[in-house]
Amino acid sequence: MWLAITPGATLLIGLLILGIIIWVFWPKKGLLSRWTRSSMNAQRVLLEDALKFVFDCEYKNIPCGLNSIAGNLNISTDKAAKLLDRLRTMGLIQMDDRAFELTDTGRSYALRIIRVHRIWERYLADETGVGQMEWHGEADYKEHRMSIEAADELAAQMGNPVFDPHGDPIPSAKGEIPDHKGQSLGSLKEGNIARIVHIEDEPKAIYQQLVALGLYPGMEVYILDITDGKITFAANGEECILTTLFASSITVELMPEKEERSPKYEVLTSLPIGHQAKIIGISPNCRGQQRRRLMDLGIVPGTVISAEMKSASGDPIGYRILGATIAIRKNQAQYIFIDKIEEKVHETTT
Amino acid sequence: MDNKAKSNKEDILSLANSLRWDLGVNFHDTVIESIYNDASKIANKTVRIQGKRPAYSLDLKIDRIVTSPWLGFPIMFLLLALVFWITISGANVPSGLLASLLVDTLHPILKGFAASIGMPWWLDGVLIDGAYLAMAWVIAVMLPPMAIFFPLFTLLEDFGYLPRVAFNMDSLFRKVGAHGKQALTLSMGFGCNAAGVIAARVIDSPRERLIAIITNNFSLCNGRWPTQILIATIFIGGAVPAHLAGLVSAGAVVGIAVLGIGFSLLVSWGLSKSILRGEASAFSLELPPYRPPRILQTLYTSLIDRTIFVLWRAIVFAIPAGILIWLVANVNIGGISLAEHFVQGTAPFAAIFGLNGVILLAYIIAIPANEIVIPTILMLTVLTAGTTGVGEGAGVMFELDSIGDTENLLRAGGWTLLTAINLMLFSLLHNPCSTTIYTIYKETKSLKWTLVSTFLPIALGFIVCFFTTQLWMILMA
Repeated sequence: MWLAITPGATLLIGLLILGIIIWVFWPKKGLLSRWTRSSMNAQRVLLEDALKFVFDCEYKNIPCGLNSIAGNLNISTDKAAKLLDRLRTMGLIQMDDRAFELTDTGRSYALRIIRVHRIWERYLADETGVGQMEWHGEADYKEHRMSIEAADELAAQMGNPVFDPHGDPIPSAKGEIPDHKGQSLGSLKEGNIARIVHIEDEPKAIYQQLVALGLYPGMEVYILDITDGKITFAANGEECILTTLFASSITVELMPEKEERSPKYEVLTSLPIGHQAKIIGISPNCRGQQRRRLMDLGIVPGTVISAEMKSASGDPIGYRILGATIAIRKNQAQYIFIDKIEEKVHETTT
Repeated sequence: MDNKAKSNKEDILSLANSLRWDLGVNFHDTVIESIYNDASKIANKTVRIQGKRPAYSLDLKIDRIVTSPWLGFPIMFLLLALVFWITISGANVPSGLLASLLVDTLHPILKGFAASIGMPWWLDGVLIDGAYLAMAWVIAVMLPPMAIFFPLFTLLEDFGYLPRVAFNMDSLFRKVGAHGKQALTLSMGFGCNAAGVIAARVIDSPRERLIAIITNNFSLCNGRWPTQILIATIFIGGAVPAHLAGLVSAGAVVGIAVLGIGFSLLVSWGLSKSILRGEASAFSLELPPYRPPRILQTLYTSLIDRTIFVLWRAIVFAIPAGILIWLVANVNIGGISLAEHFVQGTAPFAAIFGLNGVILLAYIIAIPANEIVIPTILMLTVLTAGTTGVGEGAGVMFELDSIGDTENLLRAGGWTLLTAINLMLFSLLHNPCSTTIYTIYKETKSLKWTLVSTFLPIALGFIVCFFTTQLWMILMA
């Protein structure tokens, strides 16, 4: 009789079974999801990644050699040479001597993959709660599986976005893409005001640190100081120091110094209860549904907002906006920039 | 001409498309801003506000009290405890009346009528002992608590207090990836899980709403409180000295309810970190002005929209389940009933989890309502243990008036303190009743999330019972 096993043994068997179930079914890292992920055509992925890389080099006018391809795709130079040869026989690239360039077919193929990749990133940023660090990886996986038709449909649902969340243009359905513009952050001069248009998401380690610093496309930066190997700038009132290597990952667009802009913003979390402020804007780091919700509630530049009451646990805080009291969490309020009005709204009960 | 116009149109479109790249990333915001600008310009021209609204400062005074760090939580616990106390103590009398009318009086009359017109025994069994009795039982035990709980809860909602509860509780729920309003659906779940699932409509963020729906079953609903109280009184109260019995058994029941809240938070956290991580999420919570509750309207809407609605769904499921309960006890194969086959067949499996076959079968066939689990267990125990002199016959659910008799019957069925503890845990952690499952499907429109909400609690229940039993056996050996 199988019940005759001692309780201790039953316990161990139970633990073992539980462990195996978790090991197999655990989301993302479990055996099952690994297996479904790995069961795809590795050769095609490699070809498409190579095309994308060659296109990127052409787009940014960077010379592109065998070694850089091998390095980017993390394969040996031998393998990279074979890969290029295959691309050539497929009529996607043409080679003369040592240089190679994309054919028209190759270019439009590459643009299709980039379009899927960037639309998917836009989708993850706007319509889901997937974290910023995971967009690129998810899109790298999706770009080889999603058909261009499905991507077009998705784009249409989102109102045909033209930029991905990193600030890169999304190629149009016809394969048009604007010329590369902007300059590296490192090339600016002291006193320049510029807007970040792109933060390169590779290599990941650098991107991670730039995101951790709170930098994002659309952010305005004010260059305070450039010395050897270091660049100091103000972004949303905070001072940042980057090395040239890090600064080269950031592309900026020089802004005309037309209007007086206060270089320092305050955020809504700093507004004490009983005080009023005028809203300056919502940080572009707040995206998708959350951003739309805040704007729908009337959080747009110029609206007057006053902090009314604190929850019993301290967070969220109730704010009065356009005659309604709305509770906003601290982690959303930190995205709302304000200009304090020095005057009390109403006498607080003493 | 036509061709020229067409090419002209395409030129314009492609120019427009290329210009969009120059607009930059923020142009959607600019559009919304200009809409607000225009709206406020129009409002300034046309709307005149006279004086200050006095009501608003009263609102602020109330809010200062109910959201203060010292008074906020005590007020909340007192109000909710009051609502539960009124519900539990107020429902006893009408429940007893309904039971004596529908079960004790009407059931024998129907049986007598069936006998007088010469109805065959099996038809009379299926219709009256099965379908009618299950329906009568569900009405008698479900209607009174819901008819008290829902109006009280709706009054608090109508007055404007419940949004403040969500406001105060939000930081706890934020930490597990949920919405402050889940505090409300959780409290509503203590009344009825199906109503709690419907109440999750107030959560407007898709991810947080799903979390609230899936975890609502961990709120110990009205149908499970009597089971917990009965079993705790018999077995846990019986295991300690008599003068402590009341306190310890009450503590055990409250402990189970608190464990349920713990599981609710833990599972919310797990879901928001795993399978629901990618779902979109947006927080907003409006704190509407206070207003005097509209009592009549509240009574009407809470009775019609919530009580009758849920009760109707329960009845619809109770009738077929009643028929099934009668059939498994009366259809014989090889001389013994289907129920006995199942109970004997699953006994070794159930023993690993410290339960028994009767409990497993009862939780399967009593799926329409947790209220009929105990009557079904008693009936099945009589059937399988071969006890004589108790009960109403095979397939006829019953309850005993005396707790002592119930105890004797269960002990005769082989129940121990361990069985009782596991039943209490399993009663908390098992699939939602069919009414709730159906409601989850209606609310989410998704088979996937319905299956997750159904099987996740069962899996947890078996895991918890398994480890409780095995550790108990090691420690008590």
